[in-house]
Amino acid sequence: MERTIEKTNLNINYDAVAWKWMRYSGLLLIPLAWGHVLIQDVLVGVHQIDIDYVAMRWATLGWRVYDFLLLAFAFAHGVNGLRQVLHDYVQKEKSMRTISRLLLVLWFLVAAIGALAIVGGVRMP
Amino acid sequence: MSNLQTTLTGFSRYRGGEGHYSFILHRLTGLGTLLFLTIHILDTATVYFFPSLYEHAIDIYRSTPFMIGEIFLVFAVIYHGVNGARIALFDLYFTKRWMAKSQRPSAIWTLIIAVVLWLPAAFLMLRSLLVHNFNL
Repeated sequence: MERTIEKTNLNINYDAVAWKWMRYSGLLLIPLAWGHVLIQDVLVGVHQIDIDYVAMRWATLGWRVYDFLLLAFAFAHGVNGLRQVLHDYVQKEKSMRTISRLLLVLWFLVAAIGALAIVGGVRMP
Repeated sequence: MSNLQTTLTGFSRYRGGEGHYSFILHRLTGLGTLLFLTIHILDTATVYFFPSLYEHAIDIYRSTPFMIGEIFLVFAVIYHGVNGARIALFDLYFTKRWMAKSQRPSAIWTLIIAVVLWLPAAFLMLRSLLVHNFNL
């Protein structure tokens, strides 16, 4: 009976990789995003957060690495998720290609702005 | 656009039960979180690009509507995580344990776990809102 389960060779295209990556990055984001939300939104609170607080946090390299990982994984996970949602509504392959390219540009621009800020650090006004 | 209309009306007509609702909730919480995340990356980036604007951005987050929105955002992040873990674990590691029948209770348990995790967070955030914005 074991033999009835056969391994099939599927074409590993971009979407197959993206499908797997969404699951692995999602699992990684549970500690990363939950930790961030728990500390900043729940325990510290927006009334205690100001530019000095950000400077203090980013004075520790570990927190910068943490924020960089969060930025890298969360935003890519989110934009690819949006791409998957749009894929359900956009039937024309050509339109979907255009949308995918636009999303790639959006992802790159916003991620680059965020990454530059984390690397550059706080500039006191 | 007719596509979108079909889908939106289809959401209410298609009677997929618990799995269907968890699918909708997963998408809504994901899209909501992405919307906030995009704004949040840009406003935090002001500490490097336009440091004098950061205080202004934070002031908006301290307003009552945004603090209420923040409480729902935390629910979105928790639910999306719990439900995402369910999806990822069944898809990657427990592929043979996946059964259509057990998905119904599984979807309900996901919601219960998310709400239980959210309630203490919501309590602390609501208290912070009342203390800071209403002097209670």
